[in-house]
Amino acid sequence: MQEQKYIVGIDVGGTFTDLLCLNTETQELLSEKVPSIPGSQWKGVLGALEQLGIDYGEIRAFVHGTTIATNALLERKGAKTGLVTTDGFRDTLEIGRTRRLIGGLFDIKFVRPKPLVSRDLRIEVDERVSADGTVLESVDNVDFAPIVEKFRENGVEAIAVAFMNAYRNSENETKALEKIQALAGDVPVCASTTVVPEKGEFERFSTCVLNAYLTPVVTTYLETLAGELEGQGIAAPVSVMGSNGGVMTLDQAAKFAAGTFLSGPVGGAGGAVRICEMAGVDDCITFDMGGTSTDVALIHQLTPRISHANQIDAYPLQVPQLDIHTIGAGGGSIAWVQPDGTLEVGPQSAGAMPGPACYQRGGTEPTISDANLMLGRLPTDRTLAGGLQLSKELSEKAFIGLAEKLGEGAGSPVQLADGVLRIAVSKMAGAVREVSVHRGFDPRDFALLGFGGAGPMHVFLVAEELSIPQVIVPRFPGHLSALGQLLADLRHDFVVAWGGPLNEIDIADLRSKAGDMQAEATARLIDDGFAEDRHAHTFTVDMRYVGQSYTLSIPCDPQATSWDDLREAFHDRHEQTFGRADRHSEVEMVNIRLFSLGLIDKPALKFASPEAGADPVIERRQVWFGDDWTDCPIMDRTKMAAGESFQGPMIIEEAGGTSVVPPGWTINVHASGSLDCRRSYDD
Amino acid sequence: MKDLVQLELIRESLIAVVNEMRANIIHSSYAPIIYEGHDFSCALMSADGRQVAQGLADHPIHIFAVPYSTQQVVATFKDDINEGDLFLHNDPYTGGTHLNDVLMLQPIFFNGKLGMFAAMRCHWNDVGGMTPGSLSGRVNEIIQEGIRIEPTKICDRGVVNEPFMNLLFNNMRARSERLGDYNAMVGTGRKAEEHLQRLFKRFGDGLLGGVEELIARSERQLRAKIAERPDGDYYAEGYIESDGTNPDPLVVKLKLTVKGDEITADFTGTSAQTNGPTNCGPAMALNAVGTIVKSFLDPKTPINQGSFNPITVISEPGTFINARNDAPCGGMAECKFLIDSVVASAMGKVAPEMTVGDLKGGANHIIISGSDPRGSNYIHYEWPAGGTGASDGTDGSNAVRSYNEGDFNSIQSVEMVEAQFPLRIERCEIRESACGDGEFRGGFGLRRDVKILGEAGALSVLSEKNVIPPYGVEGGSNGAANSFTVIRDGEVTQPSPVPGKVSGFPLKTGDIVLEETAGGGGYGDPLKRDPELVRADVAEGYLSVGDAAQRYGVILTESGIDATATKEKRAELSQVRISVAVELSNEEMTDGPRRQFLVPKSLATALKVAEGDLIEVVTGRGSPLRAWARLGEGGDNLVVSASSMDILGVAPGDQVGVRAARPHPETYA
Repeated sequence: MQEQKYIVGIDVGGTFTDLLCLNTETQELLSEKVPSIPGSQWKGVLGALEQLGIDYGEIRAFVHGTTIATNALLERKGAKTGLVTTDGFRDTLEIGRTRRLIGGLFDIKFVRPKPLVSRDLRIEVDERVSADGTVLESVDNVDFAPIVEKFRENGVEAIAVAFMNAYRNSENETKALEKIQALAGDVPVCASTTVVPEKGEFERFSTCVLNAYLTPVVTTYLETLAGELEGQGIAAPVSVMGSNGGVMTLDQAAKFAAGTFLSGPVGGAGGAVRICEMAGVDDCITFDMGGTSTDVALIHQLTPRISHANQIDAYPLQVPQLDIHTIGAGGGSIAWVQPDGTLEVGPQSAGAMPGPACYQRGGTEPTISDANLMLGRLPTDRTLAGGLQLSKELSEKAFIGLAEKLGEGAGSPVQLADGVLRIAVSKMAGAVREVSVHRGFDPRDFALLGFGGAGPMHVFLVAEELSIPQVIVPRFPGHLSALGQLLADLRHDFVVAWGGPLNEIDIADLRSKAGDMQAEATARLIDDGFAEDRHAHTFTVDMRYVGQSYTLSIPCDPQATSWDDLREAFHDRHEQTFGRADRHSEVEMVNIRLFSLGLIDKPALKFASPEAGADPVIERRQVWFGDDWTDCPIMDRTKMAAGESFQGPMIIEEAGGTSVVPPGWTINVHASGSLDCRRSYDD
Repeated sequence: MKDLVQLELIRESLIAVVNEMRANIIHSSYAPIIYEGHDFSCALMSADGRQVAQGLADHPIHIFAVPYSTQQVVATFKDDINEGDLFLHNDPYTGGTHLNDVLMLQPIFFNGKLGMFAAMRCHWNDVGGMTPGSLSGRVNEIIQEGIRIEPTKICDRGVVNEPFMNLLFNNMRARSERLGDYNAMVGTGRKAEEHLQRLFKRFGDGLLGGVEELIARSERQLRAKIAERPDGDYYAEGYIESDGTNPDPLVVKLKLTVKGDEITADFTGTSAQTNGPTNCGPAMALNAVGTIVKSFLDPKTPINQGSFNPITVISEPGTFINARNDAPCGGMAECKFLIDSVVASAMGKVAPEMTVGDLKGGANHIIISGSDPRGSNYIHYEWPAGGTGASDGTDGSNAVRSYNEGDFNSIQSVEMVEAQFPLRIERCEIRESACGDGEFRGGFGLRRDVKILGEAGALSVLSEKNVIPPYGVEGGSNGAANSFTVIRDGEVTQPSPVPGKVSGFPLKTGDIVLEETAGGGGYGDPLKRDPELVRADVAEGYLSVGDAAQRYGVILTESGIDATATKEKRAELSQVRISVAVELSNEEMTDGPRRQFLVPKSLATALKVAEGDLIEVVTGRGSPLRAWARLGEGGDNLVVSASSMDILGVAPGDQVGVRAARPHPETYA
C-alpha cells in the first residue's frame, strides 16, 4: 500500500487549467498551469496532472472546480429537457413575471431568450394543490406512460417535474416523480421541491429545469473524468466544488447539477478564507482577475457571503451560492471607442487567441495587458512564464490606432494606456462596491485580496479607487482557486420555510425545527463518512419588517437566541444596509437556513521563507505612476523574507503573478507568506 | 485624455449611484407594486432640473417627467432650497404622471452649493380618492383620484413638516404601507447623498463639469443621428378608444418634422381633454417623443437631458395630452403609450429600417377587490404584458415588457397571489394564435384565468386597444386586441358596455376573470415568411395547422411542409387580397374625431364591412392608416381626404391594399 500523501486541487478556467498539489507530509505545494482544452476539459486536467510528475498512486483526494455547467448553459449545449407541470402552467417558464431580465430598454429588436424546454415538451397534467396545501386534485389518476413515451420519441435526455404550490405540499409532485422515474429508465428526473423547496413558482420551476438541463452534461463529464483518472491508476475519490463553496461528492453533483455553476470561482473564495486566517485578517474582499473576467466576493468574519436568489443568463436560479460578482474585465479586455466618441473597455476580450497585441499572435486591438506593458509594468526584455515574449512595439501600435479613432484630446499612447487602465480599474471597483456597498458593508473596513493571473497587478489601484487601506497578496496568487479547492469542506444546505411576526410565534418552535434540521444534517454527514466531531452547523434566519418582501439574513444560534436579540440584530442590519431602521415596526421571520460542513483535515500550509537580508531587487526600470515616470525597483518575491518591510513603488515578480505597488504603500512580508500591504488616505 | 477618462468614470459612477438607489428601494419598500412590480424609478437631476443619469431598468414614463417636476421645485423655491430639505410632488399638470406616482426630491449640496437632486418616483398603492387603489375608470374630476401635491417642501433643513405628512397619510388608505414606502424613499435619498458626496470628494468641481459635458455629448450624438435623416414632414395619428363613458374615441394627431438636426413633434388637432381618466399632463408628450426617437435613432448610448434638447414638442393646453385642472389623469399610461404608438408610426417613415409592429396600448390595469372569508378586504392589482412588435429580421417576443418600458414585473407569482388573496389562478399561459402575422410575426400575448373564491368582489379594468388592434407594419397583420371578460357559469360575459373600461363590475364566487392580452403587430407580408418558421410555431403549439394554412399559406402534413401545396396556397391567398385605387375627396371626411373613408358598396361587400366599421389602408410601407367606413353607392375607388393622402404618402389613382381592421384575427383550429 502506497502512502497517499497528495491532495490535488484543479481549477479549469476559460484560458488555463491550474493545478495545485499539496504534499501532506512535507506541506510542499507543487503547481502547474496548462492551456484549457475547450470541449474536453478533462483532457486538460489529465495533461496538467501528467506535467506534475507525481505518482498517481500517492494521491489521496482530488477536488475539481469546473466551468462545465456555465459553459453548457451559455452555449445552450445542455440536455434536451422535458417538463411535466400542472395544467394551465406550461408557459410559466416563458412568461415568468413578464420581465425581460436582461437589457432591452430602447431596443426595438430585443429578443427574449427562449426557455430551455421547447413548448411541445412542456406537458401538463391534471393535478392541483391549493395555497394551504390541500390536494384539490390528486395525481393518482394520471397515466404518465404516454408522456414518458412522447419524451422518448423526441429524444428527451432529462425530465423536470414542477407543480404549482408544491412548496406547500409536495405529495403530488413526489408521486409524479416516482412514477416517471419508474418509467424513464436511465433518463434523470428531478422534482422542483427537491431542488428548491421555496415559494415562487417561476424561480422554482426555472431552477428545477436548469438542474435537469445540466444533469446529463455534468454527470457525463464527471463520469468520464473519474473513468479516465481510474484508468491512470488514481484510486482517490473525485469530488467537485459546489456553488455554495463546499465540496460535493460525484453522487451529490449528479443529483444537483444546478449547484455547480460557480464551481470554478468559489475555489478562490475558499482559498482566500484560509489565506486571511493565516494572515490574521477577518474581513476581506476577494479580487480574482483572470484573462477575460474578474470575480469578487465578500468575506465577513472569515465566512463568504451566500446569496439565495440568483440569476444566470435570463434564468432565475434559486440555490445557495457564494455571493460572487463577475464582470467582463480581465487582462485581455479590449479598449474601444463608443459611438459618442467616449472611451470604453471590455467586455469583449482578446482571450488567449489572438490575445493582447503584445503577445505577438496577431492581436491588433489594445488590451489591459498592453496598457500595463506601455506603462512599464511588464518586462519586455525577458520571457514570461510560459515562454511568452512581449512586444512593446505592437502594444504601442495598438494604442496609436485607438488614439486615431478617438481624435483630438487622446494624448500620447502612454497617457491613453493610463486612461484605459483607469477605466478598467473603475469597473472593477464597481464590482467590489456591488458586493460590499450594495450589501450594506463599507469596503474600507475590508482588506482587498488580489489573486488570479492579473489580480496582483491591479489590486492596489482598485484599493486606491475605494480608499481601502489594506491589500493582501498571497503566495501562488495564480493558483489560489486550486488552493481553495484542496482546502474545501463538504457542505450541505438546508432550508425550512417557517416563521411569522416574532410577537406571534414561539421560540420553542424555532428550537425544535432547528433541532430537526440539525439531526437531518448530522445523518447526511455521517452517511458521507464524517464522524460527528467533524461536523459544523451554522444557522441563519431570513427576516424582514412585517409588510416587506425582501429579507435580510441574520446569523442565529437557535438554541441560545431570544426574539429580542434577533430583533435588535435585524434593526441594526437594516439601518446599515438601507439607510434607516423602523424600530417601531414588528419584525418577522420567513425561513430558517442551515449549512452543515463535514470538516476535512486542513493541511498546515507553510511557505518557505528565504533568509532575511537577501537583495530581492532584480533590476530597476521606469514605471508610470500617477502622471509621470518613476524609477522603480523590480523585486523577486522569493527573496523577500518574512518580517521584512518595503516601500512602494515597486514591482514584485513571481511565478504566476506580478504585483504592481504604487507609491505610498508599505509592504510587510507576513510570516504566513502573504504580502500584507498598507497605506493611509488623507481623509 | 485625462478628461475623456474622467468623463467615462463620472458617467459610470452616476449610473452606479442610480442602480444603488434602485436596489435600496426594492429591498426596503413595503408595497408589492414596488418590490414585486418595480413600479418606481430613480434618477439624478442637475441643480436646474435637467436629467443627468438613469438606469437601464428605470421606466421612461417616470423618468422623463422628472425634469418637469424638478424645474417646478426650482422655480417655486428658488433660493430657499437648503441642505436637509426634501420635496414631494405628484401633480400631473406640472410634470407629474398620475397621482399615484409620488416623486421625492432630495437636494444634494457640494461645498454648500446646490449640486444635484436625487429623484425617487414610486407608485404609492393608494393616494386617497374615491376608490381603493385610487385608479378608476369612472372618475370625472381629479379630486376623485386622490391628493394632488404641487411642489411641496416636506422637510426644512432636516425638520420634517409633521402636520403636513400626517394630513397626507391620514387621507390615504393602508397608512402603514404608505409610511413604509415613504421611509424607503427617505433612506434611499440618504444613501444617494452618501454616494454623491463621495463622488464630489473625488472629482471636485470636475463632477458637475463632467455632467455638462456628458449632456452636451448626448445632444451632439442625437443631433448627428437626426441630421442623417432626410428633412420632411411625417404624419401619423391614433386613437384612445374611449374615455370610459363617452362612446367616441379621442384622436392624437401628429405632424413630425425633421429639419436639419432637429425634430419637431406638433400635436395640433388632438382631441380636447375629457372628464374621464384618459388625460395626461404636458410631460407625457415630450416623454413619448423622447423615448421613441431615442429608440429609433440612438438606442445604444446612455440617456440624459441632452437626448431631449434637439426635440421640440407642440401640444395645445386643454387637449387630453396637455390637460389642465381638473381633468382626471389616472389613465396617463394609456395616453402615453398611445402617443408612443403614433410617434413610432411617424418615425417608421423617418427610419424605415427600424419600423416596428405596434404594442398592447395602455398599461392593462386590472384591479380585483373583494372580501376574504375572514371578512377583511383585499385589493389585487396586476397589469399583464402583451406581445412585442415585429421588426425587420426579428419576431416579437411573447408576453414581456417592450422596448419603451422599464424592466418590471407586471403579474405576481401565482403562489404569492394564492397565498395572499382568496383567488385561484387557473391558468397563465401564452395566448395562442393571437400574434400579428408577418414575414416576421409579432409576439403572443398571455391568457390568465383568475377565479374568485371569496364571497363577493369587484372588477375594474383600465385598458386600451380592445377594439382598435395593435397595427402591423410593412404589410404585416394587426395583433389581436386586448380582451378582459368574465366567465360566469361557463359563459363569457362582457363586464362593461365599453370594452376594456370596467368600473366595479360585481363578481360572484366562482367567477373567472379572463385576461387576454394583445399580440404584437407583424412585420412584412406573412406569405413571405420562411415556411420552416411557421412549421416550428405549429410544432410548439403557438399556431394551429389551420392558422399556418389560412394566414401564412403554409400547408403542413404529417411529414412536414408540403412545398407544392404551399406555393399554390400562397398564390391563392395573394390573389384574394383586395387592392383598389384611391380617389381624392373634396372634403375632410370625419365623424367627430373619427377619420372616414368612402367605401363603394361592392368594396364593402368584398371586405365584409358595414357602415361605421373600422378599415385600414395598407401601402406595404410603414403602418396602415385606419378609418371608419362610410358606405357609398357606386364606383370602384376608395375615396379618401387630402390629409389621408398625406399620411399615406400616396397620390390619387395609386393602388393600395385595403382590409377590415377587426379586433381579433381569424383563427383556424
